[in-house]
Amino acid sequence: MRTGVRIRFGWAAHLIRLNLVGDFVIPDTAAQSKPMRHIPAVEQSAAAGDPLAGEIPAPASTARPLLRLPSPSDWLSTNRHCPCEPRKMAEEELARKVEELARSNRELEQFAFVASHDLQEPLRMVAAYTQLLAEKYRGKLDANADLYIAYASEGALRMQTLIQDLLAFSRVARADTPLREVDSNLALDAALQNLKHFIEQAGALIQRQPLPRVFAERSLLAQVFQNLIGNAIKFRREQPPTVSVQATHFGKDWLFSVRDNGIGIEPEHSETVFAIFQRLHTRAEYPGNGIGLAICKRIVERFHGRIWLESRPGEGSTFQFTLPAAGGETGGAAQ
Amino acid sequence: MIETPRVLLIDDNPADVALITEASARGKYRSQFHHVVDGESAIAYLRSLGQDTESVRPDLVILDLNLPKVEGEKVLAQFKADPGCRQIPVVVFSSSQSSQEIARCYELGANCYVRKAGDLAGFVAAVRSIEEFWFGSASLPDRIDQQD
Repeated sequence: MRTGVRIRFGWAAHLIRLNLVGDFVIPDTAAQSKPMRHIPAVEQSAAAGDPLAGEIPAPASTARPLLRLPSPSDWLSTNRHCPCEPRKMAEEELARKVEELARSNRELEQFAFVASHDLQEPLRMVAAYTQLLAEKYRGKLDANADLYIAYASEGALRMQTLIQDLLAFSRVARADTPLREVDSNLALDAALQNLKHFIEQAGALIQRQPLPRVFAERSLLAQVFQNLIGNAIKFRREQPPTVSVQATHFGKDWLFSVRDNGIGIEPEHSETVFAIFQRLHTRAEYPGNGIGLAICKRIVERFHGRIWLESRPGEGSTFQFTLPAAGGETGGAAQ
Repeated sequence: MIETPRVLLIDDNPADVALITEASARGKYRSQFHHVVDGESAIAYLRSLGQDTESVRPDLVILDLNLPKVEGEKVLAQFKADPGCRQIPVVVFSSSQSSQEIARCYELGANCYVRKAGDLAGFVAAVRSIEEFWFGSASLPDRIDQQD
């Protein structure tokens, strides 16, 4: 019986992960149960940048070495590829994996787009014909039949909105419009214009301060504002909603914040709210598919920014995101 | 308003064809639909106009974009390139929301683009508004058989 030893340090562990060296095992007689964190022989060769080789001395009770790292000649003699320059190989391997991941992401993106696009047609048939059934045969079958048709019809409609949302989400990644200098005041104007009726209907008060020029794409930035402000109004308490939008310096970037006096979000959900189709409420409480924040995150990250949330239930939420300043502009007041 | 407008309907989906005729039946225009299922037969039909007494020159063409064999855009291009056909209005009636596809249809000479709505009410409204506009409000070129 052989017992595996976990080695956790530096790039020796990395090489093991990449399968460039063999399994490290110790005889069970060694009765070494704890993972080894420091193996001086390996640390020395790693520090010196030498090829991995060495032995871990056995405890005094056993005569055999606990672990022997293969030397380059071992690799050669067993026809294994010799990582004579292990660091370089690890870097190449890493670069290859990164490229592989990027490709698989692109394929997944393409898949989501094609699938959601092609799903729409058959779904349109289901939706239209269950509605036609409902129209023509309501009250002519029996009460159960009416209910079943209504469920089928609602299901199809909901799936249509989900697919629309998935497509909108996937469109952000597919958009290839180049980033350029954008006046974020104009993006906010557009968002508020689109939300005009919703704002009036909810009696919301929007407080805005002058915003800076950033490196972004205007319609996508408008969508970020629209989704954040729309959420701020949607998840309101009894009192009239107030939403304030401002930007401050944040190192080389600008830090935008959208603050509301709504229901707030439990801190443990501050990450998950950004996941696609993640909802914290039933559809009966608040309608929606849980796509808005996922789209915001995707857009902000496309602009090389970050987005996060600070909130306490009952005290409102503040969504914050960073965006690169336009044209290397790092100082000066917001215009 | 035209009496019994003739519509050439080019759509491969029988469920859509049934919905279109259903929607039309709810309106006041007694449209007569001649239905073909793919681009190839659409082009053959258009070529036979004037030569074949069986084929009737349509007042309006309703064209879907996703067609087997010859795709809708190609049918549109051929139709609008044909001196004998190009004056017949073509309504592209498709579910695509791609702005590039819509722009290309207009570039190829589509007379309008109407999206197939995902819900029954929207779909019926779209078909009826097509009929209302083209057979009610718009003045169409005279039918050839009436010119003679």
